Amino acid sequence: MLRLLKVSGNSLSPGYQEGDFVVIVKIPLFLHPYHHGDVIVFHHPHYGRLIKRIKVIDIAQGAVYVAGDHPESLDSRQLGPISLNALEGKVIWHIKKPRT
Amino acid sequence: MIYKLLQSLEKAFGIEEAKAHCDIPCGIYDPITAQIAALTVVRMIDLATDLDKNTAEKGLAYHNTVSRYVAVKEEHAEKVKHDVRVIWGDYLKAQHLEKYPDAHALVHKIMSLGSKARQTMDREAAVQLVEAVNEFAQIFWETKGIATKRAKAPYNPPLELVYPNL
Repeated sequence: MLRLLKVSGNSLSPGYQEGDFVVIVKIPLFLHPYHHGDVIVFHHPHYGRLIKRIKVIDIAQGAVYVAGDHPESLDSRQLGPISLNALEGKVIWHIKKPRT
Repeated sequence: MIYKLLQSLEKAFGIEEAKAHCDIPCGIYDPITAQIAALTVVRMIDLATDLDKNTAEKGLAYHNTVSRYVAVKEEHAEKVKHDVRVIWGDYLKAQHLEKYPDAHALVHKIMSLGSKARQTMDREAAVQLVEAVNEFAQIFWETKGIATKRAKAPYNPPLELVYPNL
């Protein structure tokens, strides 16, 4: 299942910037597991749909810990562990906005 | 080309957003809390040492006061470790660590000195803790492109602290 989304905000800058597009895929975990360093999209009860990078995968807890690439990004200290059930998919294609 | 095509799609049909969220609270990092806590450790050792020297009869009142100094020393040594761990774990990113490869060793040194500050009344080790946290503060401000200065703390003990030159 593929979805096209637009990135807003700069917590994954400089790699991902405001206005970039991403294509994410959600397929069963056993077919396509998540890895440390993957950029994922997930739903957070307070912040809504977020895009972040996986820092730690805790299979026993059924959760991942995430952070942005930018020093002032929200990270799991504020977000808490993200349940695997909340994941909407991982980025498989990143279409960058032309940089000026 | 592909980007322009997607822009057209967005205008025609709309595309949902995924937020790469930055937020105000997560940007608030400052090593001064760890520096003041380290200074407090030295202060508690000084107060306890003075009390010990100047108290002939070490009764209940003496033990009560020493216990309080030691409790505050414990608390602030642990605060040093906690606050430095937060900046190290949550603020410092790969690009910072590439530029400051000794940061890991410095943080480990602070953890060890923080533990020693809890375990002992060793003033020299506590002063080393203050200096190690100063080094950490200097790295922190450099990552933000902010120059630093050294100045004596305006209270006891008047040890040098690293401050941002704002």
